[in-house]
Amino acid sequence: MGEPILDIAGYSLDYATPTGFTRALDDVTLAIAKGEVLGLVGESGSGKTSLAWAIMRHLPKSAREAGSIRLTGQDLLKASEAEIEAIRGRRIGMVFQDPSTSLNPTLPLGEQLAEVLVRHRSLSRKQAWAEGEERLAHVGLKVPRQMMRRYPHEASGGEKQRVVIATAFACQPECIIFDEPTTALDVITARQILDLFKALQEETGVASLYISHDLALVSQIATRVAVIHRGRIVEQGGVGEVFARPQDAYTQRLLAAVPRPDHRLVEAAPETAGKPLVEVEKVSVLYGRKPFLGRLLGRANTQFTGNREVSLSVKPGEILGIVGESGSGKSTLAKAMTGLNRFEGEIRFAGRRITGLSDMDRAYRRDVQIIFQHPDSSLNPRQRIREILSRPLALYGEPGARKDAAAIGALLEQVRLPASYAERYPHQLSGGEKQRVAIARAFASRPKLVICDEITSALDVSVQASVIELLVDLQKRFGTAYLFITHDLNLVRQIAHRIAVMYRGDLVDLIDVAALSGADLHPYTRSLLAAVPAPATAAA
Amino acid sequence: MIEILRRMLRSPQGALGLVIVGLILLVVIVGPAFAPYDPEKMAPLMRYKPPSAQFWLGTDQYGRDILSRLLHGARATVLLAVLATALGTLVGAVVGTVSAFLGGRSDEAIMRTVDAIMSIPSLLLALLIVNLLGKSSLNALFAIALAFAPGMARVTRSVALSVRKQDYVNAAIARGESAAFIVGREMLPNVIAPIIVEMTIRVAFAVMLFATLSFLGLGAQPPASEWGLMVSEARRFMHLSPWMILWPSLAVALVAIGFNLLGDGLRDVLNPRS
Repeated sequence: MGEPILDIAGYSLDYATPTGFTRALDDVTLAIAKGEVLGLVGESGSGKTSLAWAIMRHLPKSAREAGSIRLTGQDLLKASEAEIEAIRGRRIGMVFQDPSTSLNPTLPLGEQLAEVLVRHRSLSRKQAWAEGEERLAHVGLKVPRQMMRRYPHEASGGEKQRVVIATAFACQPECIIFDEPTTALDVITARQILDLFKALQEETGVASLYISHDLALVSQIATRVAVIHRGRIVEQGGVGEVFARPQDAYTQRLLAAVPRPDHRLVEAAPETAGKPLVEVEKVSVLYGRKPFLGRLLGRANTQFTGNREVSLSVKPGEILGIVGESGSGKSTLAKAMTGLNRFEGEIRFAGRRITGLSDMDRAYRRDVQIIFQHPDSSLNPRQRIREILSRPLALYGEPGARKDAAAIGALLEQVRLPASYAERYPHQLSGGEKQRVAIARAFASRPKLVICDEITSALDVSVQASVIELLVDLQKRFGTAYLFITHDLNLVRQIAHRIAVMYRGDLVDLIDVAALSGADLHPYTRSLLAAVPAPATAAA
Repeated sequence: MIEILRRMLRSPQGALGLVIVGLILLVVIVGPAFAPYDPEKMAPLMRYKPPSAQFWLGTDQYGRDILSRLLHGARATVLLAVLATALGTLVGAVVGTVSAFLGGRSDEAIMRTVDAIMSIPSLLLALLIVNLLGKSSLNALFAIALAFAPGMARVTRSVALSVRKQDYVNAAIARGESAAFIVGREMLPNVIAPIIVEMTIRVAFAVMLFATLSFLGLGAQPPASEWGLMVSEARRFMHLSPWMILWPSLAVALVAIGFNLLGDGLRDVLNPRS
């Protein structure tokens, strides 16, 4: 290995807070050589993004630093403001997580790309536009000329991310920082962006720092990997080595938590002879109001289809996984089944027909519970945990049942939280603990069906593993059926008995999990399976 | 609560607002006890006296001590303004939250009605109501409350709309909670912070609106020592005895400034992003 392009030595970063300094990064030492991809893996709050901003020299005023960050020998910590401005974008590029927020919505895409070229390569505007078009063609955009003139809202997420990548590569920088560039994208789009990244990386030989929380993904693209935990690099080395023989206890825990489809967590499906618990029959959901005036004026119906005649059934005690990209109608179905969306069609629950919101009485609502994606937003920040958990008890509890502190303590212990948490507010809990409270709330009424709407996607892998373990445990204890909605195919293959695949509001596949490797699949399911990165150890 | 106070004191405008409003409230509570004279006792020999050791702020056209009148009038002026704002805020907050919760056509209907009321200037609306109900402090209070409610409803609705999208509201609906519970227990506590800020700033407007109504002869009636009324009565003697109009005007201005500063300070403290 030659002289490293980016050399970080003994770098520490503290943020000043009212209660003193908080350590964000602790003695970080990293080096990236030309043509190398260093994967930086860590959970949220581990300091990954702080490191990216430290390299870009864009830190808040409350930051205090020590150590050095060298770009081909030049210490960036000692560089003047003017020198940094010449380096940013020119010698170090950056690709952000969410292209819909990293692009300015009021400027055409071409303008934003050309600006970089005009500024750093002293091209005239005309030259810059021509060059920009070439760049866009280079990152695989089909119609670069039109794309230059489009505004961000006129392009898809994948197209926007391609533009951001083209911008980052535009000045042939020596080093590019990728901050979770595929996290905000759908599985299939993410796969395409990764392929593009690999191709560009090989072609330009740029030194890349690839930040991600997704171990499987890093194992596929990085040459070396560094694991960061609470601001410290706990382990770094070649990808094969770290993933096959992790030395540090934290890395081992992290790897063990990654979902693996071949490692099933639930027992075989309940016998198929049983009557289904819930049957969803041709349920359609339309968004938007019926245009009353529009109809009078003879305008076309502008309603948007959320679900189109979806039919499925769940047996008692069964876990049915629903997968699909964002906007495929997974959550829409969940909302229809819990009375949050108007729907057409019919739901049959334990033999009763439900054709609309008015049919959902107390008994139905008690038996069908929903857990939402973000525990931050599903728990009222102004209520104590005790208050949050007491509502379902008050609403559904049998007249003689206990509703006192002991009952709430029991609910908390059921989700492995100490009973003393009852007096806390949600903001005093961690993300995983909050989601446990949400689970406790859903199970308070002893439901027969629990709808889990992406409940682990806002959580870190290790927390996700413990939440899933809890869910599987509760399922074994109470025989509850789950409708498990997720975009993580690896995860759903671990716990579901059957899998439903949704695409643009349609249910395209409903198959047994064992049949997923079989032949008889919808083309969309096939491409979804192909796009999912294999779990980390597969690379070893 | 103590934490909020401590953070308030750290910002200059918050600290100053807190001090001014604290002083005003002190005057409202114990002011009359410290008044050196009876505020309504006329003294024909002591008319038009400029500020002196005997009468700190001078006397008016009937020989009444202005300091005593100001101390007594604080109760009527400030208390009524705060009550009127609180009433208007309560009505506005509930209407706004209910509107956001219902959504769709009901929301549309409620908000267009609010728009219609808002298109009438608040002073004009207050004048209209007082003229309909008759002249009195209580009616002025209702008039101001009603004039403030539409604005508060708008502010509340815009906050409540984002709360309405939160999953805890969805969870409550899925649980089968009543609409009253969702509005009262799930939504209102989460929109309260911006409402309190808005309310403090509006108290200043209410004081001025009250003074305006009294000035026009539609609020408090003589011989009450309401500050707006005092300004109105002193207007005729402005050139010969300027202190008569100066002190009550300054008092009104001080209250307005104090509540405005307090509102600014509260906004900074209660905004979680700062």
